Amino acid sequence: MGGRDTDVVLLDENGVRCDGRRIDQTRRVEIRAGVLRNAHGSAYIEFGDNKILAGVFGPRDVHPKHMSDTDTGILRCRYHMSPFSVTERKNPAPSRREIEISKVIKEALEPSLMLEKFPRTVVDVFMEVLQADGGSRCAALSAASVALADAGIPMRDMVCACAAGKVADTIVLDVNNEEDQAGQADMPVGYMPNMDRITLIQLDGVLTPDEYKRCVRTAVDGCRQVYEVQKKALADRFFGGGGKEGSGDGA
Amino acid sequence: MAGARHQNVMPGDVITTGPYRPEEHTVLDGKRILATAVGVSEIRDDSVRVVPLAGMYYPRVKDFVIGKVVSHTSLSWELEINSCYVGFLPASDVFGRDFSAHADDLTSHLAKGDMVAARVANFDRTRDPLLTVQDRDLGKIDIGELASLAPGKVPHLIGKNGSTIRAIEESCRATLAVGDNGWVVITADDPDGLLKAERAVRMIDEGAHEAGISERVRSMLETG
Amino acid sequence: MVHKTIIDELTRSKITKMLGDGRRADGRGMEEQRPVRIETGAIPKASGSARVFLGNTEVVAGVKIQPDRPFPDVGDRGIFICTAEILPLAHPDIETGPPNPAVIELARVVDRGIRESGMIDLSQLVLEKNKSVMGVFADNSVIDVDGNLFDACSYASTAALLTARIPKWEMRGDAPARVEGEEYDAPVTTIPASVTMAKIGDSIVVDPNQDEWSVMDARVTITTNSDGNVCALQKGGSSGFTYDELVRCSELSVSVGSRVREQIRAKGAAVRGDG
Repeated sequence: MGGRDTDVVLLDENGVRCDGRRIDQTRRVEIRAGVLRNAHGSAYIEFGDNKILAGVFGPRDVHPKHMSDTDTGILRCRYHMSPFSVTERKNPAPSRREIEISKVIKEALEPSLMLEKFPRTVVDVFMEVLQADGGSRCAALSAASVALADAGIPMRDMVCACAAGKVADTIVLDVNNEEDQAGQADMPVGYMPNMDRITLIQLDGVLTPDEYKRCVRTAVDGCRQVYEVQKKALADRFFGGGGKEGSGDGA
Repeated sequence: MAGARHQNVMPGDVITTGPYRPEEHTVLDGKRILATAVGVSEIRDDSVRVVPLAGMYYPRVKDFVIGKVVSHTSLSWELEINSCYVGFLPASDVFGRDFSAHADDLTSHLAKGDMVAARVANFDRTRDPLLTVQDRDLGKIDIGELASLAPGKVPHLIGKNGSTIRAIEESCRATLAVGDNGWVVITADDPDGLLKAERAVRMIDEGAHEAGISERVRSMLETG
Repeated sequence: MVHKTIIDELTRSKITKMLGDGRRADGRGMEEQRPVRIETGAIPKASGSARVFLGNTEVVAGVKIQPDRPFPDVGDRGIFICTAEILPLAHPDIETGPPNPAVIELARVVDRGIRESGMIDLSQLVLEKNKSVMGVFADNSVIDVDGNLFDACSYASTAALLTARIPKWEMRGDAPARVEGEEYDAPVTTIPASVTMAKIGDSIVVDPNQDEWSVMDARVTITTNSDGNVCALQKGGSSGFTYDELVRCSELSVSVGSRVREQIRAKGAAVRGDG
């Protein structure tokens, strides 16, 4: 997949991108945890122009019953876009794209969760894209992991996500919409920072073996930056923004 | 990393690499002991655990729980107990040994929406928690207000040797039935006492991890 | 089995007992709506958008406006369609999959209230008669449920429409083409306001919350326009109203509706050319 012709200068001679970022910078990322009243856990993320809500329910009874597993809990994920989230109105029925993204997000979260503790139950993760921008699957995955922690689902690690890509023959962090349209490659990555495991990775576009290695490393660096934002969201929610200091209140 | 006795932790955080036994809400990864929930870690003697600040109730045998009847078959009721599993109360537990599925109407004792105080009689991985109401102070709850807090914070509501709950009950002239599942039924002599007791439960739910929470609840009770 | 929300008996008896004394469990007056908070422009990529809080019920509405084919029998008018979805993250009992009858009713009642009020002058949205018109879609996503989704969705759609900027399109040859950079205010003739009331025992309460919604015997949603006329109505629930009750409900819908209308109008005045 070669880059399309475009009027936009994707990368200028000073290494500045079309939205003013350096090649190793993510867009603005903000996450808030515990934003919904009815969901057992929730999070809201703004990542560039993405605005995405994630809500978690469970572990709970599985309906329909035949889907339940007597040995372990199961995970269900739904990534969905609101009709008004994109330039042209989107039909509310789930598209093939949304169904595939739901599946790769589920498989990215599963290694972090300890659902074997809850046989015969299900954890439901619902992600709603209220406004879409480039990199919405990474943003949705990052929000979902915070929502799962907010729900108190046992997990051995968080999952943070960020994309890297190739734009104007350069490996850059966090490909935006324009760069995705006109760029040469896009690689979304989901990562467990303490386990050092990549749990989501996809690639659209051509990379040399060397570019491939740098692209993965760049994306993982971006994931670590998102991880810091995730931790801040949970600290704000549960520890009133405090750091890692112990409370010392031995009840 | 084997630092403070108490530490605010998040999933994946390394609590210690020391020779401790990993207990609730922790997991061993090589030499590291990681937290598996947002909460406060505790290193006590030779073990490590995390007191979670979120999450559902996980049943344990002998726990006291408050449940809500959500459905019934001809042989048993199903109770929501704020857990990943539905509590299961057999008809024979209420009607006695000579229960007959034909002659006895379950709804005459407990109907959908009724609140019940019960105890977990049996539970393991393979089956839903079995409940019983065969004891003093168990059975249908007819009056009161339902409040709730995160199940992990119930010990904070009780306090050392029951001191916090006793202070609330005395100051508000109220009775609190505190389920280990985080559901609480409050009955009070007057509406002001009820509001105050509800406020105390909410304060503990919001600030259980903070230093001196029990003192702050006490001063709220005293000043109104 | 579909799990339906079951209200606990302690809450149910508290609500009905207090209503017997003319009081509501959450301390509101019988004719008092919960606080309404409206934020417009929440979704910059939509032509118009609004996030509405009605107490703890929360809805995001987005308006998309794009060329479309007219309906065959009304070729001289633009298209208006309003939809609603209760997102599965909004409540534990919401299921994914095709919308159930309750959700379809919600969308249709919200649509009818706005459509029948004639809020949008659809005759001004024609590019070429019988061939090409502008289609206006107002889509509601419910993100937190605490009763009375009808009014929350209605306010969200109305505020999103009132503050929408319509992209300008024109016919070039046989096909509509975007006139880059040009847009205009939606042609608005009136501001509809919907008010939902529940009947619980012999009491009528305005804007039932989720607990009241769970115990109510019947409900009625009445939409009025800026002139104070009734323009759409929907009764629901498995009980009935007396004639006198319906008269009282219509009076309440005018008085309560006029306050919300002013709130929505102020949002429009802040962004519209016509003030």
